[in-house]
Amino acid sequence: MSSASRYIAGLFLAAGTAWLCGCHTAPIPPPVATGSHPTGANEAFYRTNPVGNDPVGVADGRRLFRWYNCYACHGPHGGGAIGPSLRDRRWRYGDSDAQIFTSIAEGRPNGMPAWRNKIPEVQIWELVAYIRTLDTSREPNPPQEPANEASRDPKESTSIAPEKPNATAGRQ
Amino acid sequence: MTSSIPGAISDIHLVAPVADGQWTMPTGDYGNTRYSPLHQINTSNVQNLHVIRKLSTGIFRGHEGAPLVVGGTLYIVTPFPDKLIAVDLTRPGFPVKWTFQPNPDPSAQGKAFRDVVNRGATYADGRIIYNTLDGYTVAVDAKTGKLAWKTQIGDVQNGETLTMAPTVVHNIVFVGNSGSNFGVRGALTALDAQTGKILWKAYSTGPDSDVRIGPDFKPFYAKDRGKDLGVSTWTPEQWKRGGGAVWGSISYDPELNLIYYGTGNPGGWNSSMRPGDNKWTVTIWARNPETGMAKWAYQIEPHDSFGYDAVMENILVDMPWHGRMRKLLIHPGSTGYVFVMDRETGELLSAQPYEPVNWAKGFDLKTGEVIPNLTKMPRYGKYVDDICPSVTGAKAIASSSLSPQTGYLYIPAHNTCMDFEDTTANYITGTPYLGAIVRTYPGPGGYQGELVAWDVAHAKKVWSIKDNAFPVNGGVLTTGGGLAFYGTMDGSFRAVNDRTGKVLWQFKTPSGIVGNPMTFTGPDGKQYIAVYSGIGGWMGSVDFPYITASDPYAAHGAAGAMRHIKSATHPGDYLYVFGE
Repeated sequence: MSSASRYIAGLFLAAGTAWLCGCHTAPIPPPVATGSHPTGANEAFYRTNPVGNDPVGVADGRRLFRWYNCYACHGPHGGGAIGPSLRDRRWRYGDSDAQIFTSIAEGRPNGMPAWRNKIPEVQIWELVAYIRTLDTSREPNPPQEPANEASRDPKESTSIAPEKPNATAGRQ
Repeated sequence: MTSSIPGAISDIHLVAPVADGQWTMPTGDYGNTRYSPLHQINTSNVQNLHVIRKLSTGIFRGHEGAPLVVGGTLYIVTPFPDKLIAVDLTRPGFPVKWTFQPNPDPSAQGKAFRDVVNRGATYADGRIIYNTLDGYTVAVDAKTGKLAWKTQIGDVQNGETLTMAPTVVHNIVFVGNSGSNFGVRGALTALDAQTGKILWKAYSTGPDSDVRIGPDFKPFYAKDRGKDLGVSTWTPEQWKRGGGAVWGSISYDPELNLIYYGTGNPGGWNSSMRPGDNKWTVTIWARNPETGMAKWAYQIEPHDSFGYDAVMENILVDMPWHGRMRKLLIHPGSTGYVFVMDRETGELLSAQPYEPVNWAKGFDLKTGEVIPNLTKMPRYGKYVDDICPSVTGAKAIASSSLSPQTGYLYIPAHNTCMDFEDTTANYITGTPYLGAIVRTYPGPGGYQGELVAWDVAHAKKVWSIKDNAFPVNGGVLTTGGGLAFYGTMDGSFRAVNDRTGKVLWQFKTPSGIVGNPMTFTGPDGKQYIAVYSGIGGWMGSVDFPYITASDPYAAHGAAGAMRHIKSATHPGDYLYVFGE
């Protein structure tokens, strides 16, 4: 069992035990003060991803990215569709672990749904872990094009209809 | 029945008056020809056309549809947030008069499968009526810009949105929903134009009572006859996520008193989840406008396996067909076929491909049945390659135009093919219900777009203008000046000789053209041509900054075919008005 998995298992055990006896019996990291947030949403409990870079967590995150229909809005490899690309360097709501967690858990105003209370938090962290691998060497399944499509690259040139020389000159 | 179109081929009769100086409905006319007899701008002077006004809407998303012109005012509906802008044509410089802001729910942006487009408004009885992305139909006073009424059609949290432009017939507003790809149940809703009260809803799936099928229903073909087929052609309950959304245009024949429209793809691109014919998705309907009761239906593609639809325009025209006059309905399908039907009975007269097609081998006109190509059936977990056309279609929603002067249908066509893999589809309310991974690329022949001139009577292509790189994703306007106007995805707006296909004039606008050109007579008595320049829609969305175009699977696979779009053009927000 990886250290991250043991860490999470330990948390659940601690939480379960706390419920039974009504007291904390194991150390739990304190909540992080994260300051004001543009949407007023609750910030993540943890500042960094407890799943970390664990490849098992990343692989599970990739599975969940399909299972929960993330692919259907963000593209099967996160290139964007209805929702923005998760492969590029633009992060409207921030790219820290906690900010990506919050985007998934709380949703965002322009169409991202909220998944807190719908899926377990550890799965949200696994999704964060997978998303962080996109467009890096750790991406488990990068979007490669099969060799048979190399010849199908559309030509760069635009329409073949002739340009009329006097069609646009000086007229705006 | 109007037939007195100057210069029209004799024996071509249109069903209703065409746009003759104003443009008061989204399709130009009830027959959906998008033809205007205006001829002040014509083949001998079109090279003098120049920009009169360039107006920015402020929204850098897909500008589909067309503006309206009613009297001395031009009306624009923008993409989300669906603002209505009234432009004063009586004053120099065409200034903005007022803007109406419906303030739709921003979360609707996460439910728009083909970009946050709005395909426009219609005018009826002193009001501009249009739809908002978050599921409302609004009526706005055309003079003052004040809201007259607002009616909710569907719940956007379920993934149900509105993108289509409504049509009004006999004081009834017809609104079709969007959301097949969210597992939303398709429906056409009829509202009272004065009050906005909902009169009836005709669903695209479910029992006959929901679908508004009754004793007057007479489908032409046996395959479309039976009780409650909207339930029995599905596995139990699957019709409730059945799709069949109604996001295209409505046509109307005043003499037969029938409205015509088509329904979209079934919910879930993975067809193995829904054995059965999946009625009544991918179906063309004829209905009575007052009651909504169906007269006939023709399902083009039972058990769709490719994400195809039947929502493209249905052009109504009477003309000789194989020697005798017939009342035709012409449907250039996203499936790659031009369907010609008898609009009285629903008989299929012809189905001929206008672009490379291999998902089917053809149609049996006797039975109405498609002859599928089973080698192209998708498989679970494995790609099936080279399926033509792509799920993006042999045409997009940008509209074709029929000229009664030439008898040609001018089709803005795509030559795009795809690889398609079925995967698991989970239904989660408010998220897309897909179950397929797609990647697209240009089809065979070395081109990806064409403006096709299709001779309707002879069911064949007479000429075309090819675009090597991109699909032709903007609509067409034909005019009495002998011209066809259309725009390309890299922003070139062209006037073409409607008989020969020779490009007589073109102008490079700053953004790709995905809307429909229109024409009007200004208060000064001069003819103008207007078109949006603002790329977007499904294929055009690859140009947006938030899409990674180098990932061929982005934009639901459209990025593959559109990978060079970012070097060809950029997003825009313009309405261009041209004049002499």
